[in-house]
Amino acid sequence: MRTPLFEEHVKLGARIVDFHGWEMPVWYAGIKEEHLAVRSAAGVFDASHMGEIYVTGKESVPFLERALTRDISPMPKGRVLYGFLLNKGGGIIDDLTVYCIEPDSEYMLCVNASNTEKDFEWLCSNNREGARIENRSDETALVALQGPDGASILKDAFGFDLDRLKRYTFAFEDTRYGRLLISKTGYTGAGGAEIFLESAHAPALWSELIERGAVPCGLGARDTLRLEMGYPLHGNDIDESTTPLEAGLDFAVDMAKPEFIGKEALQEQLRSGLTRRLRGLVLKERGVPRQGCICVKDGREAGVVTSGSISPVLGTGIALAYLESSVQENDVLDVMVRSKPLKAIVKRPPFVSGTISK
Amino acid sequence: MKIPDELHYTEDHEWGKAEDGMLRVGITDYAQNELGDIVFVDLFPKGTSVAKGDPIGTVESVKAVSDVFAPVDGEIAEVNDSLEDKPELVNQDPYEKGWMVVLKMDDPSQVNKLMDSQAYEEYLEAEAK
Repeated sequence: MRTPLFEEHVKLGARIVDFHGWEMPVWYAGIKEEHLAVRSAAGVFDASHMGEIYVTGKESVPFLERALTRDISPMPKGRVLYGFLLNKGGGIIDDLTVYCIEPDSEYMLCVNASNTEKDFEWLCSNNREGARIENRSDETALVALQGPDGASILKDAFGFDLDRLKRYTFAFEDTRYGRLLISKTGYTGAGGAEIFLESAHAPALWSELIERGAVPCGLGARDTLRLEMGYPLHGNDIDESTTPLEAGLDFAVDMAKPEFIGKEALQEQLRSGLTRRLRGLVLKERGVPRQGCICVKDGREAGVVTSGSISPVLGTGIALAYLESSVQENDVLDVMVRSKPLKAIVKRPPFVSGTISK
Repeated sequence: MKIPDELHYTEDHEWGKAEDGMLRVGITDYAQNELGDIVFVDLFPKGTSVAKGDPIGTVESVKAVSDVFAPVDGEIAEVNDSLEDKPELVNQDPYEKGWMVVLKMDDPSQVNKLMDSQAYEEYLEAEAK
């Protein structure tokens, strides 16, 4: 599958890789350069492979209240929330953001590319309330303009004032590229916006943002940027076998809600206590931790790395790992990197600040 | 894509430069380009004996880990320590500053079994198909 920006990536000389069936750019100039451009200035990502599922009608709120872990009814127009679709066992089917376009009648869910079909089917099969559910992923493109200079680029391009938006809110803006949904969200910690628009307009917007100084960035930098902030990636750090509580994402679960799918399992987990927690690791020795590396503490296995890389900002190895709940922050353990033990310290992410000065 | 004439090449994309019974070894321009930003180079220590095809170290980019193999039998006589702090030299200058080890060859005639630049170029073209 290809996004509407595929031809642009090829023109820019991107290295293209297969990402869950999508032909996506992994880098253009190089991951490190792109990563640092986002932290210190601005970068632009094609996230059009992600899914947009619309839930509409007067049944939308009661349905979403039961389907999602967040409290939907109090959401004002223009609000964004991060939350989950859980299975009955509390496992994470997907993590997503929900956009309140019109309270009580129109919501958009932005979901992970590789889960779009699964999520859509799951939503449909659990739709007791009879809300209208529509997958508009094909006609919707997503361009993420990230970094401290993102706001000034948007102002110059459209006279749009991103600074007036609070984090996790959005606004519509009518432009020469049609109606943009500009959201003050992102997956990099560097600030900026995510822009949803009609697929047909995506190449022109993409090119203009680059002309205005945003550096084209691939999935490689997207991964190192999110990992430096400790943001989980579904499929790596969270999946149907892990719960939001184990992943330390309690803030995105409104336990006070009367009912949502998976709530009972989470309550049970709270009662019985967690056996493992997703935690951050910073290597104290040279080396690069990778997914699957075993963590050893006091001579025995204490966990496993779910995401690892080198931090382009720190120049050291960083990772997320599920560790036994007895492991505490600032504990030191060994990460087995190709059968070599490397010392690492348990640290709460983010591992770096989201922006760095030029 | 640079493929210097005077070097010898392997199918795993190492290059070797023969110098008086010694073979200076690195990875090719093609290999560094395929790997992307190299962030870590881990080489076996001086004095390690290796057979042709044995690993002599690993190179890691942000996204991938790749072994580097000995093009010939020999002993590691020198290691490029500067790659410890500057692994990006492999990207920037794969045939000069980005060299990895110097092998003392057990049998210097083994280099004749490696590909020359023309054969390597054809090999890359065939692989691309």
